[in-house]
Amino acid sequence: MLIQFATVFVFLCLGLGFVVVSQVISHLIRPHNLHPAKQTVYECGEDAEGSPWIQFNVRFYLIALFFIVFDVEIIFMLPWAVAFNDMLKTLGAFAFWEMAFFITILALGLAYVWSKGDLEWVKGLQSRDLREVRPLSVLTSKDAAPHGRVKVSEHGG
Amino acid sequence: MNFTWSDAAYFGPEAVMGLTFLLCVLGDLVTRGRRHVVPFGTLLVGTAISLVLALLHPPVSSHAILGQMVVVDGFAHFFRLLFLGITFVTALLSWSSREIMGRDREHQGEFYALAAMLCFGMMVMAESADIVMLALSLEAVSITSYILAGFARFSFRSSEAALKYVLWGAVSSAVMLYGLSLFYGLTGATSYEGIRAGLSGGQGGMALLVAILFVMAGIGYKISAVPFHFWTPDVYEGAPAPVAAIFASGPKIAGFALMIRFFYVALVQDDSQGTLALLDDVQWPWVLAIISAATMTLGNMAAIRQNSVRRLLAYSSIAHVGYMLMGFVVLSANGLAAVLFYLFVYAIMTIGAFLVVVALNNRVSGEEIDDYAGLGFREPLVAAMMFLFLISLTGLPPTAGFIGKFYLFAAAGEAGLWWLAILGVLNSVVSLYYYMRIARAMYFTPPELSGRVGLAQAHLILLVVLAVPTLVLGVFWSPLKEFADQSLRMLLGGG
Repeated sequence: MLIQFATVFVFLCLGLGFVVVSQVISHLIRPHNLHPAKQTVYECGEDAEGSPWIQFNVRFYLIALFFIVFDVEIIFMLPWAVAFNDMLKTLGAFAFWEMAFFITILALGLAYVWSKGDLEWVKGLQSRDLREVRPLSVLTSKDAAPHGRVKVSEHGG
Repeated sequence: MNFTWSDAAYFGPEAVMGLTFLLCVLGDLVTRGRRHVVPFGTLLVGTAISLVLALLHPPVSSHAILGQMVVVDGFAHFFRLLFLGITFVTALLSWSSREIMGRDREHQGEFYALAAMLCFGMMVMAESADIVMLALSLEAVSITSYILAGFARFSFRSSEAALKYVLWGAVSSAVMLYGLSLFYGLTGATSYEGIRAGLSGGQGGMALLVAILFVMAGIGYKISAVPFHFWTPDVYEGAPAPVAAIFASGPKIAGFALMIRFFYVALVQDDSQGTLALLDDVQWPWVLAIISAATMTLGNMAAIRQNSVRRLLAYSSIAHVGYMLMGFVVLSANGLAAVLFYLFVYAIMTIGAFLVVVALNNRVSGEEIDDYAGLGFREPLVAAMMFLFLISLTGLPPTAGFIGKFYLFAAAGEAGLWWLAILGVLNSVVSLYYYMRIARAMYFTPPELSGRVGLAQAHLILLVVLAVPTLVLGVFWSPLKEFADQSLRMLLGGG
């Protein structure tokens, strides 16, 4: 039992070793040209320190959600395509129509996103619900533009 | 894992509801979210077709489909009919509700799509016979519920309710999944039958104890049993009233269905004495009995202090979970039949009571008990219906609630848990006090305004439709009891 974990131990050692070796090598060969921006921790373009109560553009989350529509599609389609000939023998035409139905459902998801205008990067604010947005109490007045519009902030994702 | 077309025949009602969900979304898109009657109509027609399919083909034997992941039997049939009925009624009551149909015109159609998805998920929850399907159906119901809780997007309370629900739900889902993974680790099986077979050796020890506790925590959250009930009052109060009506009935009942099937099929061994004991050395009936006692007592004690009708009903729904767990503790055929009977009755009277809240909410802003003052003079019909639902919730004759409670207490007594049955009766007496506070406000407090409140016609009709079975089942209950017994036969007989 314990000897089986030897693989894990070797893996652990190699992993640690890789980090140490690559850090040492890069320290030896890189130019030493310091700059304050380079000293900060890389955090997707965000300030690594400071108040977490910043307004984040909700659009990034929406994009992440659309991505799932296509991501899930490919996860299921790739094994299906690889095994298609085998499945054709056991399941017959059902193997094809099953996937056709699945893609139809995902296509409906895409149609939904498209129709709601969420594929546009700058979504029109003329829609009724966005005009009704009032500044929330957690936001300070400088975060919310006049007329209750949500300011499009430029935080990178 | 082969799929055959004959499976489709057994899965008909669920397939129709799944398709209804897609068509509701499509209908909403095609009409550009302007004609809400399209998704609404689609939902009603889909539910009706599904109901007809279910009624035309009641299962005659237990039938495992979709790679043994779903079992269609009498038990599933019972809950199918219940969930379809709940979906139909709540769709109708939402259509006339200002909270759902009032503002934010762009998204109202989606409400009906979500209701279809919720119904689909609940039906699969009652049928799943595999922990993978259990987790999937539970998530389908949970995620839909989160969106519904926050459906009034520009209401702070609704958003807060949704956030609380998501946080609680995410944590308890994670805990439950961990428990399920332990079951898989212990037995190497994902099907309930496989788990039962794998556990029959008697080993498991600490890991099994943790697994059972974690799964109980996940289910306890879904049915809002103490100590996993904290989200209930806040969510019921914050969510739009029609959504609260759905939550108090649908997902909670689905949680019970899932719990009964999982515990009964995966964890129970026949000890040849008619009653059934759970695996492992721990005295599970005692654990469940204490949860049951704590749930009903805490629900009732907390309800006494509430002034908001919605919070009061939320705590009362917690108390009712306690009563129903009483039938689950003994895990005998009689106990489970009593639970099924009570779930059916509970759905009717709870939706009825929430329907009064929904109907009044259209016209009156407040939801305190004082806001119901003089309702008996201004809206005699509504007040009379509310009174009927309240005495049914208390469990007084001649209502369905009395019969339901009688069966539950009898089942507990039969199993020798007299203290639990007596505690249940005492709790019912306590509940009489706070239910009658609403009745007192309606009949003995003079109204501040005179004249009719002016409620939606559809709500009045629905109130009567729900009141009739509450009263009829109180005097003529044997058909429902027989139906409940019959529904359990395949589950109990087949093991």
